[in-house]
Amino acid sequence: MIEQIVFYMLAAVIILSALGVVLLPGVMHSALCLGLCLAGVAGVFASLGSDFIFAAQILVYVSGIAVLILFVVLLAGSASDLVTRQINEQWLPSLLICAAFIWSFLRIPAYFSGITAKSDPAPTVRALAGALLGDYAVPFELISIVLLASMTGAVLFARRKAE
Amino acid sequence: MTLSHYLALSGVLFTIGLFGVLTRRNIIGILMSIELLLNAANINFVAFNRFLYPGQHLGQLSVIFVITLAAAEVVVGLALVMAIYKNLKSAYVEDYNILKG
Repeated sequence: MIEQIVFYMLAAVIILSALGVVLLPGVMHSALCLGLCLAGVAGVFASLGSDFIFAAQILVYVSGIAVLILFVVLLAGSASDLVTRQINEQWLPSLLICAAFIWSFLRIPAYFSGITAKSDPAPTVRALAGALLGDYAVPFELISIVLLASMTGAVLFARRKAE
Repeated sequence: MTLSHYLALSGVLFTIGLFGVLTRRNIIGILMSIELLLNAANINFVAFNRFLYPGQHLGQLSVIFVITLAAAEVVVGLALVMAIYKNLKSAYVEDYNILKG
């Protein structure tokens, strides 16, 4: 019973704040809604029993990416955003595309109906660490190279031009 | 809760994000909508891992890689946005036509 209450509250938070991200006119409001939505997704991860992913979502998304986007909104936003039209004129075809997507997405759960969790969630940190430093060590190192390259690229793009 | 609930939630979240990608005029809004898409995929990874393969962790490993790549993507994307904004003084994508030959 408590599981249902938690799930539906998290789902309401996620969907309402996602609608806020997409539909609110002010980019600042959208960025704040994005932080709320990412925190709701972190709650879903916690309710699914994956503790490390929950912590990573909070650390990277809510306190990293959302704050970074807020900085850029403060730098690149303007007061006229609130009164400018934020939806382009192709919203009707986009709505039809999204209707097709939601129709097909909501047919997928029928194939997996009635599957419940067989066991209680267990801590996963030790197993994840073993996998990352064992079988998946090569992808782990590759992803660190990707992070290094993206950091270098970001510094290169964002630096002031030498006069 | 069953697997179907989580799949439906992630489908709805993906569709909202897709609508944002297709219709926002602001480049920062488009980047935020892409984050919604990635999060919908992450919910699916973790839900399939929990319900269909309990005791294994490959789905959660994939989520770690997706989160890392999303961080890299948003950092490079925002740096590009700031570089373009310094030149054009606009955050709206229809003004971004400086690649025209």
